[in-house]
Formats: sequence, C-alpha cells, structure tokens
Amino acid sequence: MKGTILFICLLLAANSKAQELFVYTEPASSIPAYLLSARLMSSFFKEIDGSGTNINFIPEIRYGISSKLMLQTQAFISTRNGNLYADGGSVYTQYKFLNNDAVKRHFRMAAFGRASYNRADIHQEEIETVGHNAGYEFGLISTQLLHKVAISSMLSYERALNNGTEYEFPNTQVNSAANYTLSFGKLMLPKKYTGYKQTNFNLMCEFLGQRLNGNGKSYLDIAPAIQFIIRSRARVDIGYRRQLYSTMQRSAPNGFLIRFEYNFYNVFRKS
Amino acid sequence: MIGTFFKTLLNFQKMKNLFLVIVFAFVSFVANAQIKNANLQASGLTCSMCSNSIFKSLKKITFVESVESDVENSSFQITFKMNENVDLDALQKAVANAGFSVANLTFVLNTNQVVVEDNTVIEIDGKSFYFINNKGKILNGEVELKLLDKAFISPKEYKKVKNKLYVDSGKRVFNVSI
Repeated sequence: MKGTILFICLLLAANSKAQELFVYTEPASSIPAYLLSARLMSSFFKEIDGSGTNINFIPEIRYGISSKLMLQTQAFISTRNGNLYADGGSVYTQYKFLNNDAVKRHFRMAAFGRASYNRADIHQEEIETVGHNAGYEFGLISTQLLHKVAISSMLSYERALNNGTEYEFPNTQVNSAANYTLSFGKLMLPKKYTGYKQTNFNLMCEFLGQRLNGNGKSYLDIAPAIQFIIRSRARVDIGYRRQLYSTMQRSAPNGFLIRFEYNFYNVFRKS
Repeated sequence: MIGTFFKTLLNFQKMKNLFLVIVFAFVSFVANAQIKNANLQASGLTCSMCSNSIFKSLKKITFVESVESDVENSSFQITFKMNENVDLDALQKAVANAGFSVANLTFVLNTNQVVVEDNTVIEIDGKSFYFINNKGKILNGEVELKLLDKAFISPKEYKKVKNKLYVDSGKRVFNVSI
C-alpha cells in the first residue's frame, strides 16, 4: 500500500504540468487581493487504538488584503467526545516577500504565522495546532512553478501551549517541534485550456514530517490527493494521509479528508 | 440698477454655457483619439483559476469595456470604453493585485501625423511617449505600440532595454516601441 502510493507520487513528480493549489499545505503564492474564500474541510481519521473514527470539521474564511498579505480564520469542530463540539479556532496570516514571475513559471517565498486556541484533551505526542493543540506556528514556504513541475516546501517551528484551562500540556511531553513538507502537483485535465468553464482535474502528492525538538522523535506521512476545480472558482479536494513511519505516539495518523472551497472576487474592493 | 444686475447675471450664464460647450467639444476631440484596446500577457501562472482571478480583476476597472481571455496562453484582449481616459498603469496594478505579473502589453493608439524624433518625449492626447528604436518614423492612424516600462515586460527583457529608457521622476512617460 505504502509502496503503491509512493510510486504514484514519484510518477507525479517526474512529468507534466503542475498545480500548486495543495491540499495539505499552502503554496507561497498568496490568494489574490480582495478575494474572499469560504472553505469547509471534513476529515475522517481512524483511531489507532480501535476506538472509532475521529471526525473533524474545519470551516474557514480567507481574505486577500493585498496581493502579498492573506488573512485566514478557522474554527475547529470535532466529534471526539461523541457529539459535535467546538474545540477552538485559529488565525493565520501569510506574507509573500519574494515574487519572480516568468511566463508559466514562478519562484515565490512567503512567511506565515498561526495562533490557535483549543480546549480539547491532549491525547498524543504529535503537535498539531490545526485542530488539536493550542499554540502557535511560524515558518517559511518556497514554491517553484516550472512549466511542467511545481515543487513546494515548507519549514516551520510549532509550539504547543495548554489546551484551555482544563488541559495542561503534559510535562512528560515535548511542547515544540520542527515541521517540514515537500509537495508535488500535476494538472491531468484539461489537456488544453479553452475557457473558464472547463473542470480541471489535478493530482497532488505531499510529504509531511515533524520532529519533536527535545527528544528527536519524528514521523513522516505521505498524502496523495485529487482535486477538481469547477468553473475556475470552486474547488473540491479529496485526500488520503498515511503514516510512513513514526517514533512518536499519535492517536489517529491515517485518514481521509474532503474539502469544498468557493471563491468570491472583488470583495470589499474600492473601484 | 436691479435690471442691469440681472442682465449681467444672464450674460454670465450665457458665457458659462458657451464655456461649457467649448470644454465639451475639446474633451470629445481629445477622447476620440484615444487608446482603443490592449493585449496583455500575464506571467507566473498556468491554471485557469489563476487566470480567472486576473480576468475578474481586469473587468473591475472602470474604463474597461470588455475582457476576452485566452487561458492557455495567459493572455487577455481588453477593449476600453469610448471617451474614457485609459490608465495603462491600472492594468498592471490589476494583474499585480491578482498575484501575478505582466509579461507583455501592447495597445492600439490613434495617431494623426505624429513624427517620432530622436531623444524627444512626444505628447499624444495628453499622454507622454518616448519611442525606442523607431526614430524618424511618421505615425498615422491606428498604431500598435508595445510598452517597455519595467512592470510591463519580463526582467530579462528589461535588462536589455534598461539603458535606453527615458526616466522622468516628475511625470509619467511611457517608453514604447512600434
């Protein structure tokens, strides 16, 4: 299974046009100025102890303040305790500080930061400020789009804090980590663009890793995904994330996600 | 006394109308000889969603009548509204707002016996143009010009023409070639 996914990912990286609207990571390209994007992500991860499926819903709003600066806010809703429960939320900002464009290619770099609140119980060594831990994360993203291949990479520092007032971060665990990702994307359809109404079909493959700073425990996941772009303004992502290896305790590393996105242009724009 | 006052006021009103007529005539004369359309190629993108954000951004410009896009080549054919001042820099800004760059911009300008001279900034319809490598030509009728300013060409191309460009910190001079 892991071998098959890895093979598909390497094939993807080897050939063809690229797309960088990644499913598990952000590209360095920011969203356009005055674009308001509404997203809903649902993820279904199987609990490793066999206790069931961990279902998370993350509604999200993002807005392009300028072509370089993006703001995003998310809410974390889970079913960990049986019913739907609002665990917390986050604010995220990304600033593109380098932009080298050429026809059908670019190299871009961006800095980002996230602050998250969460009041769920802390149940794993993995640090994840999107949906599990209160804390913060900041880092750098580089994205290279060549006519046929897009590669994006992210490096970040992530720090977990106490979850709400009820759940202190366990002093037996390491509360900070370095994250690193490497992503590839490919445009499968259409072969040739004729207009905005054509549905685009993209394939993605991403590698997502974390290393805890104190004890050096780490994991590496592989995450292939398919993506449909509808009428050049809506997007559907379906992804599967699977652990390649881990030396840390994680409660639910393997699972699916589905995301819907709809974009509104020229919002709050003075003409 | 009051009668004279009203007469003066009436005359003033007439003069004001005459003045307005002259102004309108002048404005429409200037506006008739303007930039009709432009072709813009954007850089930094391949996907249709990216192209669409440029399309939406260009369409929002007040003096733009219509935009036709060629998604495959990331290019846009832009037609401007009649009798409206066309601000070429606003096109570049719209592309930059969408997160991309301009790789090429050509536009069609109406001219009437314009002599392109050496090292001279030429005024055409209230805009200042500096022609590169086209000395001694006479322009008449619709002429397609390529903008050579930094934000309108690729960095590679800019390096080549950089030393030939006219730079004036005081006013906007469009560096162009035919």
